[in-house]
Amino acid sequence: MMASSYTAKEEDGHHSGSAAAGGPGSSKSKKPDNTAFKQQRLPAWQPILTAGTVLPAFFVIGLIFIPIGIGLFVTSNNIREFEIDYTGVDTNSPCNRCSQTYSWNISCTCSVPFSLEQPFESNVFMYYGLSNFYQNHRRYVKSRDDSQLNGDKSSLTNPSKECEPYRISEKKPIAPCGAIANSLFNDTLELYYIYPNGSRTLIPLVKKGIAWWTDKHVKFRNPPGNNDNLTITFQDTTKPVNWHKPVYELDPNDPDNNGFINEDFIVWMRTAALPTFRKLYRIIQKNKDNMTPTLPRGNYSLEIAYNYPVRSFDGRKRMILSTISWMGGKNPFLGIAYITVGSVCFFLGVVLLIIHHKYGNRNNNADIPN
Amino acid sequence: MAKRDTSCSEETGMTWQVRANCQHFHKPLGRKSFLCFRWGRYADNLVRSYKYSPLTFLPLTLYEQFQRAANFFFLLIVVMQCVPLIATLPWYITMLPLLTVLIMRGAKDLLTDLGRRRSDAKINRRPCDILTTQGFTAAQWKDVCVGDILRIHKDQVIPADLLLLCSTEPHSLCYVETADIDGETNLKFRQAPAITHDELTSGPIEELLLPFDGVVWCEEPNGRLYLFRGELHWRGQSHLLDIEHMLLRGTVLRNTDTVYGLVIYTGSDSKILRNCGSLKVKKTWMERFLNKVVVTIVVCLLTVALLLAVGCGLFEHWVGSKIEVLAAIRGSYSPAYRGFLNFWGYIILLSPAMPISLYITFELIHVVHCLQIGWDIKMYWEENEKPAQARTTSLNEELGQVGHLLSDKTGTLTQNRLIFRQCCIAGHIYGDITAKTKPLDLSWNRFSCGGLQFSDQRLVDRLLQRNCPETLEFFTALALCHTVMSEWKDGLPRYQAASPDEEALVCAARELGWVFLSRTRDSLTVSELGFTLHYHLLAVLDFSSKRRRMSVLVRTPDGGLKLYCKGADVIILERLRKGSPHQESTEQALEAFAQSCLRTLCVAVRCVSEAQWMEWSHALSQAAMATTHRETMLEEVYEQMEKELTMLGVTAIEDRLQEGVPETISSLRQAGVKVWVLTGDKTETAVNVGYACKLMDPDTRLLQGEELRQLLQSPTTEVSFHKDKESLVWSTDKMSQKSKAAIVVDGFELAELTKTPEMGGRFVALSNQCQSVLCCRVTPAQKAEVVELVKKNSSSVTMAIGDGANDVNMIKTAHIGVGLCGVEGGQAVQNADFALAQFSFLRRLLLVHGRWSYRRICSFLRYFLYKTTCFALVHIWYSLYNGFSAQPMYESWFIALYTVMYTSLPVQCLGIFEQDISAESSLNRPELYRVGQKQELFNPLILCGTLLYSIYTSIILFFIPVGVLQSLDLDYQTLAVTVEMSAVFSATLEIILQTRFWTKYNCAAVLFSLVVFFLSSVILHSPRLFTSFPNDYIFFGASLNAFANPVVWLTAILTTCTAVLPSFTVQALSVVLAKNNKHKIHSSKEPVELKSWFNRGVPHRRSSYAMSQGKGFGKLMTLGMGVRSTTPSLEGRVTPATSLH
Repeated sequence: MMASSYTAKEEDGHHSGSAAAGGPGSSKSKKPDNTAFKQQRLPAWQPILTAGTVLPAFFVIGLIFIPIGIGLFVTSNNIREFEIDYTGVDTNSPCNRCSQTYSWNISCTCSVPFSLEQPFESNVFMYYGLSNFYQNHRRYVKSRDDSQLNGDKSSLTNPSKECEPYRISEKKPIAPCGAIANSLFNDTLELYYIYPNGSRTLIPLVKKGIAWWTDKHVKFRNPPGNNDNLTITFQDTTKPVNWHKPVYELDPNDPDNNGFINEDFIVWMRTAALPTFRKLYRIIQKNKDNMTPTLPRGNYSLEIAYNYPVRSFDGRKRMILSTISWMGGKNPFLGIAYITVGSVCFFLGVVLLIIHHKYGNRNNNADIPN
Repeated sequence: MAKRDTSCSEETGMTWQVRANCQHFHKPLGRKSFLCFRWGRYADNLVRSYKYSPLTFLPLTLYEQFQRAANFFFLLIVVMQCVPLIATLPWYITMLPLLTVLIMRGAKDLLTDLGRRRSDAKINRRPCDILTTQGFTAAQWKDVCVGDILRIHKDQVIPADLLLLCSTEPHSLCYVETADIDGETNLKFRQAPAITHDELTSGPIEELLLPFDGVVWCEEPNGRLYLFRGELHWRGQSHLLDIEHMLLRGTVLRNTDTVYGLVIYTGSDSKILRNCGSLKVKKTWMERFLNKVVVTIVVCLLTVALLLAVGCGLFEHWVGSKIEVLAAIRGSYSPAYRGFLNFWGYIILLSPAMPISLYITFELIHVVHCLQIGWDIKMYWEENEKPAQARTTSLNEELGQVGHLLSDKTGTLTQNRLIFRQCCIAGHIYGDITAKTKPLDLSWNRFSCGGLQFSDQRLVDRLLQRNCPETLEFFTALALCHTVMSEWKDGLPRYQAASPDEEALVCAARELGWVFLSRTRDSLTVSELGFTLHYHLLAVLDFSSKRRRMSVLVRTPDGGLKLYCKGADVIILERLRKGSPHQESTEQALEAFAQSCLRTLCVAVRCVSEAQWMEWSHALSQAAMATTHRETMLEEVYEQMEKELTMLGVTAIEDRLQEGVPETISSLRQAGVKVWVLTGDKTETAVNVGYACKLMDPDTRLLQGEELRQLLQSPTTEVSFHKDKESLVWSTDKMSQKSKAAIVVDGFELAELTKTPEMGGRFVALSNQCQSVLCCRVTPAQKAEVVELVKKNSSSVTMAIGDGANDVNMIKTAHIGVGLCGVEGGQAVQNADFALAQFSFLRRLLLVHGRWSYRRICSFLRYFLYKTTCFALVHIWYSLYNGFSAQPMYESWFIALYTVMYTSLPVQCLGIFEQDISAESSLNRPELYRVGQKQELFNPLILCGTLLYSIYTSIILFFIPVGVLQSLDLDYQTLAVTVEMSAVFSATLEIILQTRFWTKYNCAAVLFSLVVFFLSSVILHSPRLFTSFPNDYIFFGASLNAFANPVVWLTAILTTCTAVLPSFTVQALSVVLAKNNKHKIHSSKEPVELKSWFNRGVPHRRSSYAMSQGKGFGKLMTLGMGVRSTTPSLEGRVTPATSLH
């Protein structure tokens, strides 16, 4: 791709010879060593940029990027994604009533019907999405105690100062402390398939395997003690202010998903990068027989235990269903960006080619910067 | 008595008291110091150029380093980071680079200081003899105290400022070489006060010196080298003292066996140390520009921080208060106060945009460039074993930008060795300048010392046959007509001359059999081909720069009276008697000599009758006795005698140029460097050398005197020099010739022409249109003024080169000072920024090292600013998405390590190894040097481009990953790792694009950076660190998950390619637009061919007689002093008349 001239200026072998020739006194001689390094004659590869090597580079980049982009775009388009906003801003939307109440603790249920035009094959991921929720605000991000979450006994009873003002409540240390934990997303989503005959069936949602392995097994650990009875372990602490129930009751049926290692909690604690984000909520595993799609086309109903207030800050809550591929969820941006950059490179190559043919040979003396 | 002394001394300002042999008087008053407090009166003789003591090192070095704005800024940042409310980054993030910088800098200072201590110790340990009660005992310089009496032997360096008490020479004269003080190599004489001479030489010297209890009252120590006022009080009498009685520290005793002196000023009080002043720290244009850039960056940073803080306040007010969680963690502070706190938070967060490690890396690269200069074997001079040396380590890139070279002449362009090469006697030219024949067989001459570079057997044959009276007379004239003093060493005569020309001539005469043996006040002894003859010396008609000739009037052994005269050709030719033979052939010879750039002198003789002598000697004594206008009257009398001369011949002396000077100068001229020669020499000599070293071509027209004055004073000059050419001076010249001019100006004219700044501006403007400028007869101070003039009136970088102490001023004033470590003392080198052994090495220093340095440093700076700003600016874009909360985009460790580890090595390799073209090609194509003079590679425009580019890159670095991640469920830490990865990749790819010279080190550095990035990501995000410090290594697991995600990789690759696309496009564009001529440079391997400039046009006859600036020894000769002769009883001042009978 690039013409090169490998100027192998061989190292002088005279170094030792010249020193010896100088006689015994030459050991003190100030004569510099005749080495390639000191004489700046190191062998070096000097890429020589010529029009013949540079212009093809643009086309090559373009020709690599555009197919990648197309591949990514196609892959992304093959992913089925369905998104529904259940915030209830509209007065006639089912959750409007629930959204009116501004409280963390009053439970209110509503159901949002929707229909899938196309079946969702294979495993389907179910996300919840929040908008305008600044989970990346610096003081919010800092407001946690990783030591406590890692099961440190002393941090459990004496959480870090960073957790203020969610550090101590009712003169007891809060576990888990901090603003992130306190604002844990606590809507409960359930999905029903509505058969054409009107009867409906609950679609099983898997709630484990949604957190990173490292988070689940290393980063988050319950405090040492009796694992079966977290109540005792957490007895000197209190629940976060906004929570309905203490941390040891997040999933009382499954000790492996209870306390700090509750996966919904772990997912929430991995803060989002942007104010509008989505987090994995549940996985709908494909049918064992593999014959019928995981989510056939038809009507569904999303049952929501509406707890999480977002109306105060114009927030939105969404539920997203998505099949996945090797590149995760649906992501048209990456493919389009690749295609765009590849095209720009191609275009630049053409422009430079034209310039080269028109002006290249006349303008001889322009000095080459760099 | 003492009381009276004090009162009288207070009136005259002489308050410095020195008591001989009285240690107990001076000791208590010794100067002592503690920290910065000093008390006491008399300094000791220790040289202390070091700055630190073990106790003061730490505070002093910290103090010095925090005077640098950047370091201080970062100290503030560190302090701010300790305030929890505004600490957006942990304190160690800034501390780490800052500590690195401080430690490296401190280590460097410490090393240089240790070096200074070593060299101080070397000087302080030099031996000398001090008089104690046990007689003279060997001691060291550091032991010398005020009031001691010292014994100095021949060729020793004087350790302190001494009052000469007596010497072993007649009249207690002694000769000193002052090369280290004023650069003049000719000897100066000093004489002891009459009283001490008389009293102390009347018996065994030690016994007389021991009870010597004279008291000297003199001025307080000062730096005036040519002035000293004092009184010696001894035995109830006082005697005036002046500079003629002083031996200054640093001078070397010559031609005198032993002198005894009383120490007056020691150490830092001595005149030379008072004079050397404090060393000005030179800053390059680049560094000053860089400082401005840094200030600009700080200002921008503050502005951005302010805007973001306002954003923060608004966000907190409009949005933050509605989100319950955010409102809760805001605490009780108002939004405005939050904004205020975030202002400081943002300053901390954006501070990585300030390139703190830039300064230290900049320095490191400078040091390596300096080492490379010292390592260059092609700038190593075998003869005195001197490699090139860079003494100042911050000026390298200016070597690539030199616009004006101001050079000393003697010892710099010329070797300061004059060689008798040819002569013309009676119309015959002897000697050949080109042919290399074997040396003459001079074994018949027992006085021959060798060293004659003259090989014409015909002349020797003719001399030995004694059949050509003019030839014999010619050499008699050479042996007689001079003011040289002889000295016997190993049975051979050695000569001491005030003028190197005379020495060359007398030596040549000696080699060819006319040996000047000795002189007394009134006689000269000469051995002519083995026959010793005595000539009676009647009068010496001394040289002066106005007369441009000198003569002696002698009575020959056979009783005749003869006047031998030698001088410049014009002067002699017009004083020849009518019908003098060989006139035409002599003139032809003169032209021939001039073509070979030889320096000519005409030698002539006149037979004087007794009557004429009687009459003339009467006139002479009348003139000598005159009280007013004696000089002019004497000149008139001399004029009467020096007429009706008969031409004997012409000598041709080569003022040998240093090796490669013409080639170097022509090469530098092609490179666009304006060469100015500043010399203390006379105009003729300077012009002569100017032609010889190709400073001017043979057809160059000289602008001097009145013509120059008119040109400068004409009102239109200011507008344009080109316009003048029609109207005034250039009317006859064609356009092509307009640059074929050189300005020749002497010191007085120069002072007059540059009186006002405006005129100075015109002068420099005019000079820029000319080939070169020659300034003759300028004083050392004026040399510095000229440099100042050029600096003030042109934007170009000035470089001064010289070898003597008289160039020190100039060297210190210029942007870059180069000292030649030649024969003369080391003063120039001591004060220079670069030391070379040869003038010709300048070509390599500028065209190769300078050019490379400039390119490397420009690339380095551009890249460095790019990589730091583009990485830090990302925070601004992220602020738009995180509620202006100063949330960092990166992990804090990444911020600390990015500049120090991930991106520093490749750019250092670039700054050290980069070569656009090879050294040979650089020398072959001096015109490539102009890039640096025009500052094409780093200027405000380029800088703006670089900053725009880095803003673009930061936008790409942020928005592409965000665009990708916003539709995925990836978290903040994954985004951070993606952006980090993209940033490191972009910075690396950019350096890959910039590097054009890939040595193994470059490759290793690039690989190392990438490997270190991944390795440290993995380590810093490892479970071990997290479990130990869960609250510090919160990124645990992030990189492992991110690296396993193909989307992250695809995003990073896309981001990187997009980020550096503009750089690649610009490079491609320049490649496409420039015809591919680089390829040729690369492949050209043939050795440098020096173009011959030796095309002779119309020869200009150049004749001169170079004398040192002083008047020479003529007067001393006739006074009979310093000549071992019949003991003349001369006391006090003897008028010339009495000595001339």
